[in-house]
Amino acid sequence: MIPEEIAASRCPRCDMVVAPPATYCPHHPVLMTPASLPGVGEVVSFTTLHTPPAGFRSPLHIALIELDGGARFVCHGADVRGLKIGADVAIEAIDNIYYFSHLGALERARLFWRRAGRAGDRVNAIARSLAKRVWKGKHRAAS
Amino acid sequence: MQDVFVAGAGMTRVGRRSEPLPELMADAAHAALAEARLEAPEAIVVATMNPEEFVGDGNYASHVATQIGFADVPALRVETATSSGAAAFYAGFATVAAGLRASVLVVGGEKMTHLSTPRVSELIGRSIDPYERAYGATMPALAGLITRALMSRSGVSAREIAQVAVKNHAHAALNPLAHFQQPVTVQEVLESRMVADPLRLLHCCPISDGAAAVVLTAATTPVRVAGIGHGTDTLAVRHRRLLTAFTATRMAARAAYAMARFGPERVDVAEVHDAFTPFELISLEDLGLVPPGKAGRATLDGDTALDGRLPVNPSGGLKGRGHPLAATGLAQIVECTWQLTGRAHGRQVAGARRALAHSIGGLATNNWVTLLEAS
Repeated sequence: MIPEEIAASRCPRCDMVVAPPATYCPHHPVLMTPASLPGVGEVVSFTTLHTPPAGFRSPLHIALIELDGGARFVCHGADVRGLKIGADVAIEAIDNIYYFSHLGALERARLFWRRAGRAGDRVNAIARSLAKRVWKGKHRAAS
Repeated sequence: MQDVFVAGAGMTRVGRRSEPLPELMADAAHAALAEARLEAPEAIVVATMNPEEFVGDGNYASHVATQIGFADVPALRVETATSSGAAAFYAGFATVAAGLRASVLVVGGEKMTHLSTPRVSELIGRSIDPYERAYGATMPALAGLITRALMSRSGVSAREIAQVAVKNHAHAALNPLAHFQQPVTVQEVLESRMVADPLRLLHCCPISDGAAAVVLTAATTPVRVAGIGHGTDTLAVRHRRLLTAFTATRMAARAAYAMARFGPERVDVAEVHDAFTPFELISLEDLGLVPPGKAGRATLDGDTALDGRLPVNPSGGLKGRGHPLAATGLAQIVECTWQLTGRAHGRQVAGARRALAHSIGGLATNNWVTLLEAS
C-alpha cells in the first residue's frame, strides 16, 4: 500500500513539528510553516475503548503514532491483535479519517524502496532501520 | 507577601446527592465559615468546572453568592477543568497574600450523577484537544494510552496499579464523607469490566456530587499555606515528548517547594490526584515523594498506606472519596487541614506537620501543588 502524505507544520524557532498543522507553535508565539510528513511511523501507545462516545462503534481502537519526521499523531486502527508498542505502522486516510495498519516485513521493504532513490540510499536506509530496532531493544526506558 | 492561613474547612458527603448544587455549596461554605467564626468573608471565589452543561446554569459566582446569603460580597469564578478547586484556592490565596482582602471564602462543587455516564464522559471530555476528541478520545482513552506506555516502558505491573485502588478504597472506608464505603480486593480490580484497555472500571474514579470550602485569612490560625505551584502543558497529548510523566506536575511541584522553602522529604501526608490509579504512581514520582521508578514497589510494600512511611490519599483519594470535579482540589485541602489539626477521625496520620495536595486539570494540562504547614 502507498502511504499518505500527512499535512503538518513546523516551528521556525524550535523545529517542533505538529500534525495536523497549527497556526502557532504550542511553545512559541511564532507562526508555523507548512510541512508534510510520510504516513509511516511507530506505535507510541494504543488503547481500545469498550464504551466509546456517541457516534463511534465499539470496540474503538485509538493509537498514538510517532511519524517518521518527528510529529506524534492520533488515529484509528481496524485491529490491534498482536500490536506492540514500537511496532512500525503505515497511515492511510479513508474519508478524511486516518487509520494505521501493521507493516509486515515485505511492506516495510517496499516502503524503503519507494522512499529511497538510489541503490546506496536504500541499503543505508535499511541499515539505519535495523540499527534503530536494535537500539530500541536495548534502550526502552525513555518515553 | 502577607502570610495566608486556613481559618476554616468544610465539605459535604460525596456521592449521589439529591440536593441542588448551590445547596451543596452552601452547606460546605457555611461549615467552613462557622469554623472560622466569620459571619461574612470579604470576598468569595467560586470553583465549578461546567455548571452551564451539568446543571444548566451560568454566571455561577453570583448564583452561589446569592444562594448562600452573600449577594453583597464580591464573588468571582475560577476554572481550570478538573483542577478548578485548586485554582480557586490559589486565587483566594493570592488575594489575601497581596493584602487586598483580609478574608476570602473559596468554595467549589459539581453535580454530575443525574446525567448518564456517556453524557458525563462527553462533558468532561470537552477539556481534551478537539482533534484528539474527534478520534473518540475521552479521559479514560487518553489515560489508557498513558497506562499502556507506563506498563510497557517503565515495567509498572497490573498488580501495582490495582493495589492503588485497593489502598484508596480501604482509606475511603474509614472516611464517612467518602463516596465508596466498601473495600475492594486486587482480584476484584483485575476482574472488573475493561474500560480503555488496559484500564478497568475499578482503576477509574466514580462520578460524584459534592462540594468543599475553605476560608483563608491574614489572621494567624494553626494551618499556614506554605507554598503553591502552578504547572502547565500542551492541550494535545500528541504534542508531548513525555507521555508517562506529567510536566505540569513537575513544574507545579518545583514552584511550590521553592515557595515553601522545604522539599518533598519533609512532607508527612499527601492527597494526590488519582482519577485513574496509575496517575497516583506517576504523580508520586513527579512530586519527588518517591524515587523514579519506585512508586509501584512502594505501593505494594504499603509505604503509601495509612500506616506507611508516607500516607497517600488518607481521604480515599479521587478513587475512593469520589471526584466531584471542581470540589476535588478543595476537598484535598480540607483533608490536609483536618490531618494537620488532628481532626481526621478514624484515619489520622499521627503527628502530621506538613501536607501536600496535588490536583490535575484536564489531561494534566493545568496542575497545582499546594503545601500546608502546621503553624
